[in-house]
Amino acid sequence: MGRVPVGRRNLFAERRRAALGIAGVAASFLMVLALDGIVNGATRELTRYIDTSPADVFVAQRGVTNMHMASSWLPLANVKEIRALPSVSWADPILYAPDALTTPTGQQLTYVIGYQPGGRGGPITLSAGSDPGPGEIVIDAQAAQDLRLAVEGSVSVLGRTWRISGLTSGLTNIANTVAFVRFEDFAGSRRVPDIASYILVGGSVSPDSLARRIEANTELTALPRAGFSEQEGALARDMSAQVLQIMTLAAFLIGLAIIGLVLYTATLSRLQEIGVMKALGAMPRRLAVVVLSQALWTVGMALALALVLAFSLSWVLARSAGNITIAFGASAVVPVALGGVVVGVLGAVAPVIRVRRVDPVSVFRR
Amino acid sequence: MATSAIRVEKLEKVFGEGQTEVRAVRGVDLEVEPGEVVLIMGPSGSGKTTLLSMLGAMLRPTSGQIWVDGTNLTALPEAKLPELRARRFGFVFQDFNLLSALSARENVELALNFAGWWGRQARERAERLLGDFGLGERLSFRPDKLSGGEKQRVAIARALANEPAVILADEPTANLDSKIGHEIVRLLRRAATEQKRSVVIVSHDTRLKEAADRVLWLEDGEFRAMSQMATDPVCGMSVEREGTFHFVHDGQTWFFCSAQCRDEFAGVPERFRQGAVVAGAGRRP
Repeated sequence: MGRVPVGRRNLFAERRRAALGIAGVAASFLMVLALDGIVNGATRELTRYIDTSPADVFVAQRGVTNMHMASSWLPLANVKEIRALPSVSWADPILYAPDALTTPTGQQLTYVIGYQPGGRGGPITLSAGSDPGPGEIVIDAQAAQDLRLAVEGSVSVLGRTWRISGLTSGLTNIANTVAFVRFEDFAGSRRVPDIASYILVGGSVSPDSLARRIEANTELTALPRAGFSEQEGALARDMSAQVLQIMTLAAFLIGLAIIGLVLYTATLSRLQEIGVMKALGAMPRRLAVVVLSQALWTVGMALALALVLAFSLSWVLARSAGNITIAFGASAVVPVALGGVVVGVLGAVAPVIRVRRVDPVSVFRR
Repeated sequence: MATSAIRVEKLEKVFGEGQTEVRAVRGVDLEVEPGEVVLIMGPSGSGKTTLLSMLGAMLRPTSGQIWVDGTNLTALPEAKLPELRARRFGFVFQDFNLLSALSARENVELALNFAGWWGRQARERAERLLGDFGLGERLSFRPDKLSGGEKQRVAIARALANEPAVILADEPTANLDSKIGHEIVRLLRRAATEQKRSVVIVSHDTRLKEAADRVLWLEDGEFRAMSQMATDPVCGMSVEREGTFHFVHDGQTWFFCSAQCRDEFAGVPERFRQGAVVAGAGRRP
């Protein structure tokens, strides 16, 4: 309505205080964004093996809907059974176990995948070396770098030592990595003959139809790749959700304390001027808007600064720490923005109450 | 109802109760006509500020009535008072009291916002007023970049912006040198004469008497006859003839606000005699 923007003018008239307030609130927002981004990035990386698989459908033991921390054991006979179903183009078994790549210099948690040579389920692309032969393993290049390994080096996992035949890329995240060995080597190491963990299936109909058909004709659980990936991601998110919630709450409380303190001190420093505005006829509502607008400007500027810093952090980490990926999206930014507005409004409560108590007569008192 | 811009009847203000009770204003009656300038003087603690606060609808009287431009302030609910202040009154404060984060134009525009003027209309009116006061080149200057005289001119432009019926000025010439103080008095006088605004000034500055149609002396919460007052030849303050501090020189009795002024006068009386004026030009309401 073209009114004098008193709140904005007051906020930016004291640039040092405004900058400190905005920087402090931005730091708390950055904490939330970075944590959420790291969890999202890790989740996305965690499901990369599934997401990049050629399978339309993942088949597991009845009731198993993901890989992480799951135990799925199927008779290999199920593979033939599935291959015989209409609309099934191919079906290949894989063995899976969580373990740790171990070297004299360190350890890295890993998913170990056993796949049949020539079948699906192995590495999609190799950045160096070749597919694993007997007694050989393919590990991710980032894990190799972290463990100071290279092609033709050796690493222990599944209770034995393997020769590294090749390197993949993009399968290491902040939590773990993925390694590939031959199916029969995996079965021999774990002494699980004629057993598969999962069966990867490709078909000539939609993944949903294919999954329904497999479940209707077997005693197994079948999920389209996207659904299987979603289940895997949800589990990872659930595991980190509580920590994330606590950290987010702590960050917002820090932001609330900063914004409350900045607004309150700014209000105290202008009590005389608030008295003048009241004497001139400012309604309490207008004065509340003055305080609130300072809060919202602080939140808005802090959010913008936090986003810039978060994207910068993401860019820096992508180049300096290959196993940490920060994934931002509207799903993270919108809640932070809404949370920021709530923080701003709450932070303005005490100053608004203080403003209401200012007596306009105070302008005459000396 | 008479045509008075301000009419006050039997106004009382009591603070505290029992042993701590203070009667700051005692049964004051006052009428101010449109276009009239009334100067209220009195010693510190005499009730001037309390009276001004009640006239400006900032403080509720304990008893009595105040009519401003035909509206009985004492009958209005608390929530209506800010709007009344914004539309009917212009305020000029000691120390200017401009908002430090706003420009000269925004300080005036803000008062217009409170009075219901917004956007371009308010901005243009603020610019015109400041231009009339010779501040056309200072519109975007914040108060810390303005001189004392410029600040007070902005404050007067702010007070006139909403076309008020009444201007209440609290020590408008304090902290200003005599030249600028004179200019400020002239502006207030002009607002009364040309725009028929009633101006009530509370001040210790005896120079303001020249611009006032009436001078009232408030002491102990009551108006007293100015004929009983004299001017301290040293500091210029109005003092009671029955005051404690006096000095007889060359057959004439001189009155002082303090022993310090009396002693200073006694040292070299000739230095002060020429400027001494006996008060009493005011008329009582």
